Amino acid sequence: MTKSLPLRLENIALRAGAKPDGRLLCSGLDIAIAPGERWVLLGPNGAGKSTLLMSLAGLIQPDAGSIVLGDLPLPAWRSEALARTRAWCPQFWLDPFPVSAWETVACAIIATRPELESERVQQIAREWLTQLDAGHLADADVRTLSGGERQRVALATACAQDAPLLLLDEPTSHLDWSHQAVLQALLKRWSQDGGTVLAAVHDLNLAWTFATHALLLDGRGGAIWGKREEVLTADALASAYGVPVNIIEDGASRWFRVELEG
Amino acid sequence: MILKPPPIVLACLLATLLVPAALLLGLLSGSSGWGWPNADILWLIRVPRVLAAFGTGAALALSGALIQLVTRNPLGDPHVLGVTSGASVGALLALLLLPAGFWLGPEVGAMLGALASMTLVFSLAWRSMGRGLAPSAQPGTVAVLLVGVMVGAACGAAVSFMLAVANDFQLRNIVFWLLGDLNGASVWWPVWLAVAVSFAMAWPRAQELDWLARGDAWAWTLGVPVARRRRIAILAACIATGVAVATAGSIGFVGLVAPHVVRLTGLRNARLLLPFSALFGGVFLVLADTVARTIISPAQLPVGVISAAVGVPLFLMLLLRRRA
Repeated sequence: MTKSLPLRLENIALRAGAKPDGRLLCSGLDIAIAPGERWVLLGPNGAGKSTLLMSLAGLIQPDAGSIVLGDLPLPAWRSEALARTRAWCPQFWLDPFPVSAWETVACAIIATRPELESERVQQIAREWLTQLDAGHLADADVRTLSGGERQRVALATACAQDAPLLLLDEPTSHLDWSHQAVLQALLKRWSQDGGTVLAAVHDLNLAWTFATHALLLDGRGGAIWGKREEVLTADALASAYGVPVNIIEDGASRWFRVELEG
Repeated sequence: MILKPPPIVLACLLATLLVPAALLLGLLSGSSGWGWPNADILWLIRVPRVLAAFGTGAALALSGALIQLVTRNPLGDPHVLGVTSGASVGALLALLLLPAGFWLGPEVGAMLGALASMTLVFSLAWRSMGRGLAPSAQPGTVAVLLVGVMVGAACGAAVSFMLAVANDFQLRNIVFWLLGDLNGASVWWPVWLAVAVSFAMAWPRAQELDWLARGDAWAWTLGVPVARRRRIAILAACIATGVAVATAGSIGFVGLVAPHVVRLTGLRNARLLLPFSALFGGVFLVLADTVARTIISPAQLPVGVISAAVGVPLFLMLLLRRRA
């Protein structure tokens, strides 16, 4: 894997639906993301996590500000070069026609490395599926997989694209505990090899164990970001989510619990 | 469910055997009975008709496969999306308004009609043709289908109107369009040309159509120029459908079924799906036409009757067996 490029968000503002009259999701995001960092995007439903990931993927233009990847702003990148630099794993998948899991993964490999022979492509696809504990599903029809199995195939596809910057939209939403651990370990190795990971998640405990940095959107236009210790605080979380969050400190680590009345 | 790898060698073998066999069967049977016909019948009637049938079937199947991929809808079909109806209107307008014998008038009219209806369907139902991508939901798949059915209905009304105002001589021509019949297909080569052009447009980048079928936004992040790919595929589908309709009227069903049958055999990649759908559609229509003109000879059935009568049970059988 090639080393990831630094990603800079310069005074970004986002609106819902990427429309100028949409609800303001966040503004004034000035963030520098260095290679090797693992970021979590936190915030209540509809706060703009997916919109931010999509604008970082280059799919939509932010309402204001610019996103600079390496030396070039995103719109100046050629789409083929961008495909080898960042991979985007969406929240939802369309599978209108029968196709096997390894063929799905192979799409990403063929797109970024068209020079590879078909046997090699299949081999790489199966290796990535195995890495995500989905090797036994390689020949299965993706439409018959369970939600978590399909998600592992999707994550294998994102990794197989061989782009060092991973933009994962709720990568753990369907995963059981053991596969959340598999994914966390894989993404940690990914960032130690020089890659960068940005993931939108909802589980605060997962966010804490996984991330080095965090960005918290409050859904009302405000946002805080920085090292995980600075962002994942009781006050900030309670203010963003609107529910009291109790933090249990255990040495250097933290446990999060939402306190409900009654 | 475990998917088998595509049986490429077997498929090629079958294609090289079945295509000549179907063509030969079509040439050897006719309303005058079974056997080698005399040279005039062979060259003036049988050969053009069999070639027209093969080309029409191939064109409709290729167009169906393309439309299914770009609308990512297994129900996609030139007939369902109103493309054949639009082509019928275009061809009829050309028949009614242009002087008789105008060179390739109906073909060009049908192609323009197909393009017009498809453009209408997509501009109404699918606003995200450009870079504005809607990645999460399924952009327009249902809307495309609904608008397609509506446009088809409107074109049907237009055809009925032309039916009402046409004179007796024109009426006979119009009825032939409506039934979907190869009886009037005297010129066979335009549809072959259309298949070749449409195939040449779509096939070199067929792989990207596969990615497109899994979501616009995802395909775009892989570096696919989504809007351009889709426009080219739609244009190719319209060329094939338009000329097929001009040749044989509106024959439904082949475009819907051929890609599914090919997929069920395991040839799922667009690179394999497109050529083998075309071959299957061609063979299917040659056989259906052979039956249509011999089963109640000396009278002839419209080929659309046979293609539906054989195709519907065949398709249902394959579908249900796969479920089991």
